Amino acid sequence: MKYAYFPGCSVEASAHEYGMSCMAVNKVLGIELIEIPDWNCCGSIDAVHAYNPELSLSLSARNFSLAETMNMDIVTLCSACFFTLSRASKMLHEDPNLKGAVDKIINAAGLKFTGDVKIRHYLDVLINDVGPLKIAEKVKVPLKGLKVAPYYGCLLVRPPQVRSFDDPEHPKSMDRIIEAVGAQSLDYRDKTRCCGASLVLTDESVMLEMTKDLLLSAKAIGADCIVTPCPMCHFNLDAKQKAVENRFDLKIDMPILYFTQLMGIAFGLNPKELGLGRNVVSLEKILHKLETPIQLTAKA
Amino acid sequence: MEHTHANVVKNQNVDSSFLEEVKKTVAGKKILDCIQCGVCAGSCHARFAMDYGPMQIIKMAQLGLKEDVLSSSTIWICASCYTCTSRCPRGIDIPLLMSSLKNMAIENNVPAKIPAKPKFHKAFTEIVGKYGRMHEAQLQVRLMNKTSPKALFDNASLGLKMWRKGKVQMRPPRMRGKTEVKTIFRSALRNEEKKK
Repeated sequence: MKYAYFPGCSVEASAHEYGMSCMAVNKVLGIELIEIPDWNCCGSIDAVHAYNPELSLSLSARNFSLAETMNMDIVTLCSACFFTLSRASKMLHEDPNLKGAVDKIINAAGLKFTGDVKIRHYLDVLINDVGPLKIAEKVKVPLKGLKVAPYYGCLLVRPPQVRSFDDPEHPKSMDRIIEAVGAQSLDYRDKTRCCGASLVLTDESVMLEMTKDLLLSAKAIGADCIVTPCPMCHFNLDAKQKAVENRFDLKIDMPILYFTQLMGIAFGLNPKELGLGRNVVSLEKILHKLETPIQLTAKA
Repeated sequence: MEHTHANVVKNQNVDSSFLEEVKKTVAGKKILDCIQCGVCAGSCHARFAMDYGPMQIIKMAQLGLKEDVLSSSTIWICASCYTCTSRCPRGIDIPLLMSSLKNMAIENNVPAKIPAKPKFHKAFTEIVGKYGRMHEAQLQVRLMNKTSPKALFDNASLGLKMWRKGKVQMRPPRMRGKTEVKTIFRSALRNEEKKK
């Protein structure tokens, strides 16, 4: 199983442990992600788009151009990149004038593209190409008794008009992975509610309000931890959790993991390889709860 | 809501060319398809922070209330979560419409109700233009709230914690194709200039 890998900017920085744990899990499952050489920013959902729509689409198009020479599906870990690239591909297919304008920009840089390359999220690959059965076969430490709230966020499953591999209102893909590794996946109201995304940088109070609702809703159903497939959601739920606690005078203490980290724990992989010490809210609470407890060293 | 359709229209801020301008954008093509059902406003997770709901913004755009639309907080608060569009019975891409409206607000120099927002778009675009990729640390620093010492302290201590955990990329991203990206930026920005 080989794919053209688009890491996205966050995975190189604040979401480092997402990329690390994904690579560790890939070795177990026999997935090969070959990085698109010299990829650039996906074009952003809104940040560049609001500034200059053709520029945003052209940034996506340069990535298509690079990936098209590889003859593989593009696979990305970031929900926002997944969405941005998918939407760009759809817009360019549906609007010949727009495609013409972007072609001119791309040609000026000495590149060309068709836009026919398929864009997929890593979770889609796990569910549809690997399958939960194969994932379950690789489990060495079943996560029995661990109650996990899957938080899907927005752009992994919405909107269905763009391209989706799961239900936009009641997604199940991550639930199936949680169950495959022996944990209990919890159903709750807010699993596709918005965390506030980039408002964290511009209207923090609005974002804190939105993220607070998600954290409390997961806590209310007795979750031991939340898992997410999105670097932006992870940042708001994990790194900003302390700010939520301070602002609303709450004690939440909810570990937030990437689903790839959860899989890695169940596969019995080295905590260091999974970056388990990099999550801002400590994971110790859940790691001690496991049948074979995991001790985190300072440099994990 | 203090603004109803009736008293907004009485403002006589009607700009008859605005609707045509909106219709020229990708998402704006469908703006007359809106049946004002309100599913978008009812579904919006950030509605509590907006002055108008998305349904109202669409109606106001149909009526040509350019100034009211472009000076609303709504267009900047929309977090592009796409719940509205997933449920819209007319298939209108509302976040993309908001994105185009932001673009018009920037182009028309309309002061933004959330002043940090236009700065965010500018900083984000400039950083990508310079390196070809996002450099999170630089974006954080450029947008850091320097007005309140408390906010500055909180952000700095979170930054330090993340740095200790290896989550801060100190050096800007490096790519070989920076010239290609720069050419793409130049061409796209030149096209925009020509349209004016």
